[in-house]
Amino acid sequence: MPATEYQGSFLSRISIRRNQVVSMDGNHEQELEELEIFQKNISERFSDLISDDSSSSSNSASSSEPFLSIAWVRKLLDVFLCCEAEFKAVLIMGRDPSLISKPPLDRLIPELFDRAVKALDICNAVMHGIDSVRQCQKLAEIAAASLEQRPLGEGQARRAKKALAGLLSAMGIDETSGGHKSAERSWSFGRRGGGGGGVSVTKDRGSGQSRASTWGVPKNWSAAKQIQVMSANLVAPRGAEASGLAMPVYIMSIVTVFVMWALVAAIPCQEKTGLATHFQVPRQLGWAQSMVWLHEKIGEELKKKEKKGASPVGLLEEIQKMEKLGQSLLEFSDGFQYPVPEEKLDEAAAQVADLTETCRRMEDGLVPLQHQIREVFHRIVRSRTEVLDVLDHAGKSSAPSV
Amino acid sequence: MEELSHPRSPSLGSGSPEEIIEEDTNGSSTTGNGDDHSLSQVLEDVDRFLEKLSTAGGNKGDSVEVSDSVEILSKTVESMIDQCSYQSHDSSLDSPAFFGAIDRLSRLTELLEEAPPSPATLGSLNWAGTVLQRTMLYLEDELRTILDHPNDGGCKPEPYGRLDYNNSNSNNNNTSSYKHFRFSAKYYTFNSPSGYHEPIERRPEVEATAVGGGREEEYSFPGFSPEDVLRMNKIADAMIRAGYESECCIIYSVMRRNSFKTELINLGYEIVSIEDLQRMQWDSLEGEIVSWIRIVKECTKSLFGEERKLCDSVFSGRHSNVAGRLFGGLARAVCIQFLNFAEAAVLTKRSAEKLFKFLDMYEAIRDLGCSVGCDGRTEDPEAAIEAAKAQIGKTAVGMFGELEKSIKSDNGRTPVPSGAVHPLTRYTMNYLEYACVYKETLEQVFRQHKPQHRPTAAEEAGRTEFAKQLIRVMELLDSNLEMKSRLYRDPSLRYIFLMNNGRYILQKIKGSPEIHEVMGEPWRRKRSTNLRTYHKNYQRETWYRLLQCLNHGGLSVNGKVSKTVLKERFKSFNSMFDDIHKTQTTWVVSDEQLQSELRVSISAVVTPAYRSFLGRFSQYLDPGRQSEKYIKYQPEDIESLIDELFDGNPISMSRRRT
Repeated sequence: MPATEYQGSFLSRISIRRNQVVSMDGNHEQELEELEIFQKNISERFSDLISDDSSSSSNSASSSEPFLSIAWVRKLLDVFLCCEAEFKAVLIMGRDPSLISKPPLDRLIPELFDRAVKALDICNAVMHGIDSVRQCQKLAEIAAASLEQRPLGEGQARRAKKALAGLLSAMGIDETSGGHKSAERSWSFGRRGGGGGGVSVTKDRGSGQSRASTWGVPKNWSAAKQIQVMSANLVAPRGAEASGLAMPVYIMSIVTVFVMWALVAAIPCQEKTGLATHFQVPRQLGWAQSMVWLHEKIGEELKKKEKKGASPVGLLEEIQKMEKLGQSLLEFSDGFQYPVPEEKLDEAAAQVADLTETCRRMEDGLVPLQHQIREVFHRIVRSRTEVLDVLDHAGKSSAPSV
Repeated sequence: MEELSHPRSPSLGSGSPEEIIEEDTNGSSTTGNGDDHSLSQVLEDVDRFLEKLSTAGGNKGDSVEVSDSVEILSKTVESMIDQCSYQSHDSSLDSPAFFGAIDRLSRLTELLEEAPPSPATLGSLNWAGTVLQRTMLYLEDELRTILDHPNDGGCKPEPYGRLDYNNSNSNNNNTSSYKHFRFSAKYYTFNSPSGYHEPIERRPEVEATAVGGGREEEYSFPGFSPEDVLRMNKIADAMIRAGYESECCIIYSVMRRNSFKTELINLGYEIVSIEDLQRMQWDSLEGEIVSWIRIVKECTKSLFGEERKLCDSVFSGRHSNVAGRLFGGLARAVCIQFLNFAEAAVLTKRSAEKLFKFLDMYEAIRDLGCSVGCDGRTEDPEAAIEAAKAQIGKTAVGMFGELEKSIKSDNGRTPVPSGAVHPLTRYTMNYLEYACVYKETLEQVFRQHKPQHRPTAAEEAGRTEFAKQLIRVMELLDSNLEMKSRLYRDPSLRYIFLMNNGRYILQKIKGSPEIHEVMGEPWRRKRSTNLRTYHKNYQRETWYRLLQCLNHGGLSVNGKVSKTVLKERFKSFNSMFDDIHKTQTTWVVSDEQLQSELRVSISAVVTPAYRSFLGRFSQYLDPGRQSEKYIKYQPEDIESLIDELFDGNPISMSRRRT
């Protein structure tokens, strides 16, 4: 193969190196260098997630994704997928498989798998969360479409009001004035009492709300707790282990927990009380600096929301925007008196345009985001199988029991 | 509900016609409800106005004179809704005039919006739009109410199986035993290697026995009466026509998803986290899988079909695309749930015994894929189904591989006592026999999901993937048995062992037309030949040496029969025979036919030789003490002693002696 084809891909760079390693057999220098490249890549990828946002004030590059927007989350998942591929390259390719079944990896790999399995449940919960966001999007679209109409009559205002009340109620924001409780509640984000538990179809017609229990995860499942358990016993390798394969396993664990933590923070998810404090990125490590920065920023947002009383629905920029615009437009529709003065109408029109734009971004981004989460899910599953296969082919009967 | 119970009068634009209409309204609301005549009069008036409006729409300059009928219509619809809200709900829903009025109302708002704006049109538009919104709210609420209470309208059949499942859910032990009991026929558990149990129940051909066959008559999901379906159809039609498709779809899909989920839960569906599934012991996991399969099959067989039917009847005619979309969304959500479970199950530790449950899952998912025929939208669950199928397929291949692995790694140093059939042979053959029940599915799995194809040997060409696998396993078993046979020091016992196991394998093949078909007749014949060779070798090892004692030659010394030599011959025959008898009665040949074949063939060689030896040489021994001492057995004794061989009875000899 021509050498040019190798360019740009870390994976293939590794593979070239790997062949050399095999021929030199156990060259520790090479291994150290690989580890360094791996860490450098992790560091760079995560700093990409920052630079776009923080330096974007002057930079009008269209590629920059607003912090915590759908596009940003998708980029985060891309980063995860890349890191994961590189990790596997470091761990498996050309490596003597028996290494994986010896200490300390014989303990670390099952731990990593254990975290991976927990991450799968988070993926499912988040998938479900995105479904609820899409339902909200539909309500926002109704509101935006009816407030867009000219002449704007009372009928449209009421229609918008009902949709927005449903929207805010689904987001768990208690609407005070004239909140029209309705079935929209039934796919509320389930942050209270674990999403309402089993299916209780309320019989009385007046409040006619029927709440569904969450699909995807059992009712007593908690995203925050899951993160907490995942981050437990995450200990940086020390001494001789720090320069061996234990290091990439540790790094990958941190990356996995961080990405899952950020997902849970961004997207509606069952039970996330205390999320802000459940996971810390180790500060002293060079490759983790960007992650530390991101963690702090997301943590701040989480705490800001928690201070306001309610636990956060999701920090996703579009959700935040939808909530803000929804509240403001609900006020507008609630106080609607026909005919409305021009300037008030214009003010609302600007917000409506904003809401429409937000809906469009959701329409464009949420389904791909779901696909991507599914991909993450499958990748985790596949990698686990691949590593187990490597162990199998090595003829080791002492495969980690997972 | 605030808006419905306390309707606010919509504020009107300038020139409020409120007072003017007041009397009219009163008139129409009292007569209007009971009397279709005046309502139809209003509708006619509105139609005339609509006609005028649509033609006037072209020339923009003219302002439009708004007909009084607009206000009357609005008032009439409002009062109809008021009536319904206070009383029972279905009176107006069943009145065609009501829907006719709503239709006029929505067309009015549409046309008034396009009409050149004037204070009058704007006022009327605001009025009509407000009433339309109220009406839609009312319809949405009605729709919700109907959707919320299936089984309310018509007959309310006893939900099938509900009691059973609820009861069994209250007790975990019961649940699993119940499941196992009820589905034992189809979902037979393959025994763990520790058990090495022999019998295998066949999956019945007719699947109807697994899930209640007569279910359709007893209970009908989703349980709406035809009247309710008709009402929902009218509501949906009216809402979509009035531009309220989104609201209609949201309420419908949310309510139906909830109901569908309730139905699944009633069937025993449980959401288990992937993490919890990993922690489960195989027993519990197996129970979950069985329950999952049952529910998936139920969806495949009827629930999805019924749901689709309902969707198509509510959103009929030109709204059929809406029906497709709504059903697709629901099917996708449900399928993703199912697939999550399947993919979580795949992550659990592989072992050969789990194969058959996974094949059941594979079949269930495959059929599920066929049952959710959606309309080609991007959200189709089919891709996800394919992906999950591939995962399970790969896992199944891996599990079959576990069988090979367990055969290869079965290298204990202790031979099975008495040369009996080795547990590994039983296990492997039972496994293969069971695998043959899944022949088609396994074939599909091997063809589609086997990771890399090994270069096929020429001899394997033309065989199916499944056959190749089967042959491979048989070869592994053969070489393993060959190795095990070498653990026996006594070559005779070694041949008995080989015969026992070989015979067992042949019998299994004879009893399983599937294996026979896959492996082919020449293969079977070759095995029979091998068996005969073992038999011959055994005879040579054990009996030819004994027959040496009965050789007529070598007895004469100087032309005379030597008594000493003769005595020696009898002595060694007796002791040798006793030895053989002593050891080989403890050996086991459990196959009756093989046992008798062996005895007959031994007897056929030994008895005549002994009889003839006795006949010829007994005369040389002095009658009385001498012949009693040396002629221990009569030919008949030999025969009956041979008949005691291979009984696996260690005390037979001692019993005889006492």
